[in-house]
Amino acid sequence: MSHDDNKMHAPGTFVLALIFLLWFIVIYFVQWFALWDNWPIG
Amino acid sequence: MKDYSHQFRTCETTGLKIHLPAQKLIWVNAVSAVVFLLVGAVMAILIALTRWPAVHLLPQHLFYRFITAHGMNMLVFWIVFFEMAGLIFGASAVLKTRFPAIKFAWFNWILMIIGALLVNYAIFVQGVDVMFTAYPPLKGTPLYYLGIILFAVGALFYSFQFFFAVGIAKKEGWHQGTLPLFTFGMLVAAIIAVFTLLEGAVTFVPTFLWSVGIIPESWMLDSTALYRMHFWAFGHSAQQINLAAMVAIWYLLGTLTVGAKPVNQKLSRIAFLLYIIAINLGSIHHLLVDPGLTSTYKIVNTTYLAFAAVIGSLIHAISIPAAIETAQRKKGLTNGLFEWLTKGPWSDPGWSGMIISFVIFGFIGGVTGILMSTEQLNVLHHNNLRVPGHFHATVVGGTALAFMAVAYYIIPLVLQRKLISKTLAKIQPYIFGLGILMVIMGMTFAGLMGVPRRHWNIELPGIFGGADAMLAIMGVGAIIAFIGLLIFIGIAVLSVFFGEKIPSKMEVHNPPFPVKEGVSDRKTATT
Repeated sequence: MSHDDNKMHAPGTFVLALIFLLWFIVIYFVQWFALWDNWPIG
Repeated sequence: MKDYSHQFRTCETTGLKIHLPAQKLIWVNAVSAVVFLLVGAVMAILIALTRWPAVHLLPQHLFYRFITAHGMNMLVFWIVFFEMAGLIFGASAVLKTRFPAIKFAWFNWILMIIGALLVNYAIFVQGVDVMFTAYPPLKGTPLYYLGIILFAVGALFYSFQFFFAVGIAKKEGWHQGTLPLFTFGMLVAAIIAVFTLLEGAVTFVPTFLWSVGIIPESWMLDSTALYRMHFWAFGHSAQQINLAAMVAIWYLLGTLTVGAKPVNQKLSRIAFLLYIIAINLGSIHHLLVDPGLTSTYKIVNTTYLAFAAVIGSLIHAISIPAAIETAQRKKGLTNGLFEWLTKGPWSDPGWSGMIISFVIFGFIGGVTGILMSTEQLNVLHHNNLRVPGHFHATVVGGTALAFMAVAYYIIPLVLQRKLISKTLAKIQPYIFGLGILMVIMGMTFAGLMGVPRRHWNIELPGIFGGADAMLAIMGVGAIIAFIGLLIFIGIAVLSVFFGEKIPSKMEVHNPPFPVKEGVSDRKTATT
């Protein structure tokens, strides 16, 4: 088996991971915003 | 050394050398697993139809009895018997080696089967209604605890036998180099099993002694907090055995379905090791509302240590699809970003079962588990239906479905029988997946509305009216999942007993790496 046969080539998986990361970022900040909106300090 | 060379057959599809005495052990453990799955499944549908307020099927006393039976038969007997089949397969067929101490292995199976039968006898005949957790002061009969102990001892011995078998493979020259990833995953499962089963002894030996009157009632009642901690060191760690076995099976299915090879074996092995190091300590998340433990202790265990294990799961979550995508692209499925996925073998139940199991486990089971492990959020879920919503995503939608998917390969390749109906097998993962998804979502959202778990009648307080729709979704889903489960059990049992026999060549098989002085350590990198 040559070296190239073992090489990972998975752009679809990479893009899927990026989509989930983006979704996580959106949810994370939406949750912080909701908390800030419901629980004002001072 | 005794000559074992005539005890092997060659699988014509995979080229695996199957040790025939090990094949019988795999057969008997797998069949035992499916029998207990059937018992647990009947309990499941009856419980679900009771929790659906419009049906409310069972009387009160049977509801709690059947919950006990459902928990033990599904979470323990079905899963662990199947894992024992997996351990024997991983230590013999995958390593192309003999499985040692066959009589001892049969003895272990007998211990486990007696234990499982005793537990079922105690529940159905003696009326033990303590449920899976059996928190004191709920007390079972001596036979109930004795059954659990016998079952655990048999499984513990099997785990030691697995270690021994791996050692024999190396020592006698059947296998050299690093372990294949599937066997490595099962090794991790077996290591976690040893910890789990020892904790099981710490939990159930005192309760057994209490049930026969040797340990006084007052001592047990003073130790309830201690019981809870040890119970979950056993109870949740048992689910980590499932986790390691399930991930190992995903890697195996990737290979069997599309010829995937792990893209970075070292990284995958590190991910497995993170399970051993960190995941059991995360079991403390069951005790996040327990007043006997400090916040620091809870937070260290359930966030920092549990997250170390989560990193392991995230590594698998990338490496398994990446391996599959790489293999599919090599076959020419290179159009766009997702042709490798859309043109996968969706009519192969091994593939569809693997993908559905992957999605349900990762996106629902894993995510809800992490949320529950967060101290500030845990109180939202504590003792309500969201908890079974979570673990039906992990253990049923994840582990059980992965086990079913691999069974469609084990039956022809290892047990040498053709499936009696490929058409039904093709649709089974979809039916079961849809049904269990509805069960999970119904439970989860009803739980978030405050519906308690393990409760016979939520109509009494009159405050959960809005949750009826969610519980109806759960009930309908349970019927669909039950149909899917019956299809699987029917295919598995009828194929194993009445399926067309697949012939196989008996071939002399000797250790390919006879141990001699100065022999180099040849690497074999396979899944």
